[in-house]
This record gives sequence, structure tokens and C-alpha cells, in this order.
Amino acid sequence: MAITEKELKTLAKLSRLEFSEEELAGFKSGFEEMIEFCDGINSEIGGDTSSIREVGSMQTEWKDLREDVVEESLPNEKILSNVHGERGYFAVKRVVK
Amino acid sequence: MKYRIVSGFETHVELATATKIFCGCSTKFGAMPNTHCCPVCTGQPGSLPVLNKRVVEFAIRAGLATHCTINTTTHLDRKNYCYPDLPKAYQISQFDKPLCENGYVELDSGKKIRLTRIHIEEDAGKLVHERGYTYIDYNRGGVALIEIVSEPDISSPEEAREYVEKLQLIMRYIGVSDCKMQEGSMRCDVNISLTPEGSDKLGTRTEIKNMNSVSFIEKAMAYEARRQAEILDGGGEVEQATLRYDENTGETYVMRTKEDAQDYRYFPEPDLPAIIIPQSKIDETAAHMPELPIDKYRRYTGVLGLSAQTAGLLYKYKAVCDFFEKCLSLGAGAKNTANLITGTIYSSLSTEEEKEEFNAGVSAEDMAKLVRYADEGKINVTLAQMTLSKMLKEGGCVDDYITEQDLAGVSDDELEALCRKAVEENPAAAADFRGGKQKAIGSFYGYIKRASGGKADIKRADAILRKILSE
Repeated sequence: MAITEKELKTLAKLSRLEFSEEELAGFKSGFEEMIEFCDGINSEIGGDTSSIREVGSMQTEWKDLREDVVEESLPNEKILSNVHGERGYFAVKRVVK
Repeated sequence: MKYRIVSGFETHVELATATKIFCGCSTKFGAMPNTHCCPVCTGQPGSLPVLNKRVVEFAIRAGLATHCTINTTTHLDRKNYCYPDLPKAYQISQFDKPLCENGYVELDSGKKIRLTRIHIEEDAGKLVHERGYTYIDYNRGGVALIEIVSEPDISSPEEAREYVEKLQLIMRYIGVSDCKMQEGSMRCDVNISLTPEGSDKLGTRTEIKNMNSVSFIEKAMAYEARRQAEILDGGGEVEQATLRYDENTGETYVMRTKEDAQDYRYFPEPDLPAIIIPQSKIDETAAHMPELPIDKYRRYTGVLGLSAQTAGLLYKYKAVCDFFEKCLSLGAGAKNTANLITGTIYSSLSTEEEKEEFNAGVSAEDMAKLVRYADEGKINVTLAQMTLSKMLKEGGCVDDYITEQDLAGVSDDELEALCRKAVEENPAAAADFRGGKQKAIGSFYGYIKRASGGKADIKRADAILRKILSE
């Protein structure tokens, strides 16, 4: 399946990434290779996943869930140590008008 | 043209767990900003979420209380969006395999509002916009939510109010949330469209986001229905949009249109394996379900013999019911207890919030003692009311107010003397009664109550009065 230029632009925008026209064009074949790989899986099963069981090893048993017991949080200074903080808050450039 | 409202609700309910959904940070409300945070809930690289067992238990309880099917295998999904209230740039939620499906909430009319699903997810942080900055507090980030999605079965603002209030009450009864809309622990997104009367064709819908008060929901729906009707009547088309309701102007405003609708790119959450819920766990939860509001109401009006009105005033508040039932367990009679609560105690509580919190101002032990005196006829109801009022105002316990003498009541001779005096001092009322006005006898009651300090038994006084008046 081919990927369009518009789809690539949407993907870049959703990923908050900026590319030049040339860079975008360069991604085209890479994406198509990946989609082709998935199409291969799909054609094997005709798109019907109903007979496919969820991956067995990736399941949590009830007993493995976490008990609802409070653990210590990090101190505020530590939480804010790598960011611009003010009065205990994270402070970023205003996001609404 | 006449239109029919077609509306569905998405309701977020914050779960009353001690810790967040994927980490052990506290969920306590009102802490200093960013003090209930850790690498998991601030989305630090390398940190891994671990699902809180109680979140699943609470969600199962919510599902069972609303007649849902509980899925025994379920998983979480990633909902991607980039906004500073979400440090990971995705919310862990559920997409194609929610925990609960196909339930309903029944309204008083018997109409069922069907529920499509209930799923679990994490809450976002809180943003404060000031001057050139947005300040972020991630204490709420990662707090557990359930999202209850209804079918578009709601057809008026009144039904919307009832649906939300019923849902709120159910969640409070089963103890999964306090559902305080004013504190944001319950919030609704309202989807609304209009269909011409007699037609099945669905109109284009709009969605009003983040409503946090029942009365605003009613007003916003009424406004939005009017706005859409005006557009349709003018031959226009409603534009699919996400709206915000302005409480000050009472109008809705466009936040975003279909063009810039979000693309969430859901996919299964790779950091959390699918969850297998043993059927035995579901059965056990079902077996231990607390009494639901509708059942309590039926018990109060049935077995306990309360009037529909009194039962209605009690069952709406979980804390009131707890107090009421504690009094009954201490031997107090249902009717006198209920009447003292809804009459005397309620008159000292002015807001809905105060009734929800219900600080009775008197211990259940004292209340039960007072009611027992009344039940046994040792004091009359008026004196019980007066005593309770005094205790609420000035504190103290029953025996500080009720004396041996009170308990002895008013003797027959004393009562007869009081009645005679009442008749002597109200000759006009006496003449009226003798002239056939039965109601005139009521004029003497007040006098007798006052003169006896509330101790006189009015039923006995009534009989004596009739005897005197017929002499």
C-alpha cells in the first residue's frame, strides 16, 4: 500500500516534528516497506483476527495487580529539578490565549 | 418545526482509591502542588506503570450496580495527544475492550438510559493560566477515573438531571466515589442533537465539554437545543463541534470544529499486559454489593413504613441514611427518627452539600435515646423536637435537657386544669367549636403546648378538651 504525502505530513504534525519537503519524500519508501510487511501478515489471515488469541505470556493475573497502599512520593524540589518551576508548579509558556 | 432532543452522556467519575491508578502516590485532595508525584505519574523515561487492584474492583462494582456485563479479559490502550496536562503525551485509557459493557440506569418513570460501556483511565494534571505562563500541578495526574458512556437515550434536560443524580447516588452508595461535582470528582460531557418530531433521522451533534454542575447541565442543554433549532428552522446545518458552556452568559461557545478534531491514534498499551479477571472475583463482588438506592427507597417505604416524601428526603443522602440506620440499630423507631431528621436536623442544614456531608450535630446514641423516650410515650413529639433543637444549638446530651419531671409527663389532673384554662382564655374559639367548627379545637393546642413547656400530650389533651367543650 502506498502512503501519500498528505498522510506523511499529518503523521509529522501529530508527532510534533518538522521536516523539509525533501526529508518527507525520503520517508516515503521506508514507511511503505513497513506497511507492506504488515499487509503480508494481513493477507495470511485475510484480515480476520477473531481466531487469534491474545499473546499468552503478556497477561496479568489478578494476584499480580498492585495493592492500593500509599508509597512515598518524590519531594517537590526533586520533581522540579530539571524544569522551570515556580511556587511548586511546573511553569511553561501559556498554552491558551 | 418541532424537534426531539437526542442526547448521550460521557461521565467521568474519580475513584476514591488511596493511590493513583498506576503508582503508589496519594490521591488526597488539596495538597501542595506537585507533592503527590513520582517518576511514573510524571512520565519519566524508564518508569513503568503497575495497575492498582482496587481500581479494577471499584470499576467492577460500578459495572454491576449499573447492570453491565463485566469482561473477564480486558486491556488498556494508549490515547495519544499532546497537551501539558499530560506529561507522557498520552493517556492510558481503554479503547476496544472496556471493562464493563451494556448496562443501564433506570429513571423514576421506568425508562432505562442504556450504558454503552464503563472503562478505566487516568486523570490529567491541573493547569492554571496566569499572565504569560501556564502553571501545571500533576497531583491529579494519574488519579483513577471511570468513564461511563451512555447511549443517546436522554431526551430532555430534566431527564439529564435525573440521570446524573441517579448515577451520582449509585456511585456514592457503592462507595467508589464521593462524586462531588463542585470539586471535579464527577464531570460530564454532553452530546446533543435534534431530530424532527416523527423522524428517525439523527441530526448532527455537538458536544459540550466538562460540565461540573447539574443545574448548568440543564441550562446548557436547553440553550444548545434552542440554538440548534434556530439554525435548522432557518434552513441551516448544525456544524459538528466541541463546545464550552459559559456559566456567566449562559451560552455555548465553539472550542474546536470537526476540521481540527483530534486524532488519538489509539493502540494497545505496551507497558501493561492484558488483565485476566477471575469469574470468582466478579461473583464475590456481586455477592457483597451494598444496598442500592432504589432498594433502600423501597425498604424505607415498605418495611419501615415511611411516607414516600420522607423516604425521598432521606435516601438521597448516603451519610443521612447511615446515621438514620445507626439510630434504628440502637432501638429508635423509624418514623420518629425520620421525622426528627427531616424536620429538626434538616432545618439546621441549608445547602445540599451540608446534607451530603451530614454532620448531624448530635450523636446517634443521644438521638436514639431521645427517640426512644418519644416512642415509649414518656415525652411527646413536640418536646422531643424542642430538645433536639436545643442540643443542636447548645450541645450537650439528652439527659442535660430532659429531666425526671419531663419523663413523668403531665399528670391527668394537671392536664385537665390546663385544658380548662385554655378554654376559659379562648372563649371565641370555644364558641366556634360548639357552633360546629371542628377545626377551632386546634387553637387550644398551641396554648397547652406553651403552658406545659411542650410536655403535654396533645392526643390526651384533645380528648379532655372535647369532654370540657361538650359539657
